[in-house]
Amino acid sequence: MSPAMAVVLKDLRLAWRDRAGWASAGAFATIAVLTYSFAFDLATGDVRPLLPGVLWTTFLFAGIFAGGQSFARESEEGTFDALLLSPVAPTVIYLGKAIANVIAMLVIEFAQLLLATILFDTNLVSVELLVIVFIGTVGAVSLTTLLATMSATMRGRAMLLPVMALPLLVPLLIGAVRATGASLNLEAGTAPWTLLLTVFALWSAMLSVLLFPMAVER
Amino acid sequence: MNSISGALRTVYGWWWLVLPPVSGVAVMAMIIGALVVAPREIVEGEVQRLLYIHFPSILAAYGAFAVVAVASVVVLWRRDMRWDAVARGAATVGVLFTGLTLATGALWGKPVWGTYWTWDARLTSTLVLFLIYAAYLLARAMADELDEAAARFAAVFAILGALDIPLVMFSVTWWRTLHPQPIVLRPGGNPAMPPEMLLVLLIAFLGIGALAVWLTVLRSEAEWLAKRTAALRAVADRYEGA
Repeated sequence: MSPAMAVVLKDLRLAWRDRAGWASAGAFATIAVLTYSFAFDLATGDVRPLLPGVLWTTFLFAGIFAGGQSFARESEEGTFDALLLSPVAPTVIYLGKAIANVIAMLVIEFAQLLLATILFDTNLVSVELLVIVFIGTVGAVSLTTLLATMSATMRGRAMLLPVMALPLLVPLLIGAVRATGASLNLEAGTAPWTLLLTVFALWSAMLSVLLFPMAVER
Repeated sequence: MNSISGALRTVYGWWWLVLPPVSGVAVMAMIIGALVVAPREIVEGEVQRLLYIHFPSILAAYGAFAVVAVASVVVLWRRDMRWDAVARGAATVGVLFTGLTLATGALWGKPVWGTYWTWDARLTSTLVLFLIYAAYLLARAMADELDEAAARFAAVFAILGALDIPLVMFSVTWWRTLHPQPIVLRPGGNPAMPPEMLLVLLIAFLGIGALAVWLTVLRSEAEWLAKRTAALRAVADRYEGA
């Protein structure tokens, strides 16, 4: 088994053992959608103009909270330092964590899309929308995983992480909300927004892979 | 190596002789020029005089953020914590002048556009810029002075922030232009400027530019001294403990 595969499997196993943490991120996302539906009275009238924004703010917040805690245990137990000492490239350590986080987030997001489809009587499970959600998740999670790793040992991390991540994620949020809106036929054409989303996802994935080794050097 | 640091020290001492008087005189000249010399703008009225602070401030902020990006690259590359102090000092000055730009813009916008704020592409991207570097300063404030890992973390964040700015500008422009424009007045074509106005604006560039450089030097120096004090205190604590 290649070291990369071993690290990915390790992180997936950790995510599974930490399923209470991820389940609470899922529960948070569900409660956020319900809170929005009370706040904006989504039960009446046409909800479609608000849905993209509701879904993506929920996804981003849940992703940041869950991503932040996903590294907390490893830094507390000293696993992270041990991993850095092992003969595995830091890039591989990063990729393992990011891939596990993307998979866990996709599960949560798919559940939210199903729930919103039922609650708001709008079909949200289309191939086009799933592709948009996948690209957006890769972009957001690669950045939040990098920031979460680096801030794992800092105090005030829970508050600091959203404050640092959200301004950087503005282009992603704009692209994702617009592309989702277009896939719900709220505006013409998903193509330009999906392109923006893809550019951002590539940007954040590549930069994170490049910068992670420098950030964790001891 | 010694000659380089010696030369740096000479330049530094020279800066101390030049920068405070230059920025003082130029800022005074800017204030007098903006209030007395420059003519009253016919359409916008007296409030147009804010331009003499507004425009040079954003240029100073861009300059400061460029210094943050370069200094952060050096922190990662050379592991020299003096550059961390420079990055932190420049970020403080950049946030200060971005805030000044946003504030003077809002004061100008109310009488001219009829609103303090509009979600125009340029305004929005400047606000995001402000938030990114405010987050940088918060992260620095929460970390220990001597924490090198935190300094590297901040350097990575500053590089991410600097590289994010083009994407933010681009996406926000798309976001606004594929959307109905606000009805409030938008700045029309730029009329040619009378020579007096141009002169005052040039003095303002000099004044605010020199002020920004001087504040960056002061702030970086203070950060570096704070680091050294913390290091000395750590050593003293160790001796007392032993």
